[in-house]
Amino acid sequence: MKILLIEPDKKLGDIYKRALVQAGHTVKWAAHAQDAVHSADDSKPDVIVLELQLASHNGIEFLYEFRSYAEWQTIPVILLTMVSPQSLNITREMMQAFGIVECLYKPATNLKQLVNAIEDLS
Amino acid sequence: MGFGNDARERLLKALAEQLKLPLLQIAREAELAHSNKDATALSSISYTADMALRLVDSYLLSVQLQALPMLELEPVSVSAMLQDTAHQLNALAKQYDCDLEVHLGGKYEPVMAHRQSLEAAFATLGYAFIEATPTAEQKHTIILGAHRSNKGLVTGIFGTQDGLNADMLRRGMALFGTAKQAVPSLAPSSGAGIFVADSLLKNMEAPLHLSRHNKLSGLAATLLPSQQLQLV
Repeated sequence: MKILLIEPDKKLGDIYKRALVQAGHTVKWAAHAQDAVHSADDSKPDVIVLELQLASHNGIEFLYEFRSYAEWQTIPVILLTMVSPQSLNITREMMQAFGIVECLYKPATNLKQLVNAIEDLS
Repeated sequence: MGFGNDARERLLKALAEQLKLPLLQIAREAELAHSNKDATALSSISYTADMALRLVDSYLLSVQLQALPMLELEPVSVSAMLQDTAHQLNALAKQYDCDLEVHLGGKYEPVMAHRQSLEAAFATLGYAFIEATPTAEQKHTIILGAHRSNKGLVTGIFGTQDGLNADMLRRGMALFGTAKQAVPSLAPSSGAGIFVADSLLKNMEAPLHLSRHNKLSGLAATLLPSQQLQLV
């Protein structure tokens, strides 16, 4: 699958990218919302893996912008975030509206679980 | 001097949030290294763990020193302190593809400071700046620098982060520990390193403030030269 990984931390971005590439996927990694929009244009991803806490923008702002483009309205989004489940104020309706198929809490999600969550989509 | 109970509690919360990042880096990097049988990842893992420990230690030092009636200040060479800090942070900077440079605009007399606090504050602040380095094709440079002002020796860490301004810093200082990203333009995480450094520097009556150095913006403390302090 073609994955657009939006992760602001360089070390984590590198680790997630290596793990997903090893699992046989193509990964485009962006650290910022703006880079992600450009990357999506170039790479036409099958799935987006998104951290909500980005520098300058937050992930929800990114999703509002991203979903405003007709060609990107159906790409599934997996949240992979540092925001704990008890702090994450995302309702079922919001998940549907933004096309969020899974919310993964980073500290509780190992690389294998991330790969499985992505492969469950295919 | 220092922070009140509420601020200390918020600092602890920011610290706990911040520590999730290096611990997660360690956990995932170890997992990947284990599956690849890659022993070279061990140095990166151990360096990440060291920096996380350094952050915890700096927080504890700040809390311990706040309990003292008075800090014992001594003459400290800012030039040597900045060189040492750059040396300590060099390996981390490499992992984040950024260059660290020490810029000293001249020869400076020592400042009066609590040596351990000053060293811990700048190591912690540097860690926060490196971690917040924008990921991009080109290399970024972080400057550890000092210059004179009419109030003392402005000593700080400077970079190319966008949107770093006084208003953002003021909001961040008010929001840390309660907002997930108190200083979003500088740190996508809780930014605890900035607030721990500020807490250590506040103990010496030299809180962090916004400053410019060689056209870069950053955070600095204004330290009094030892001679000047004796005259006061």
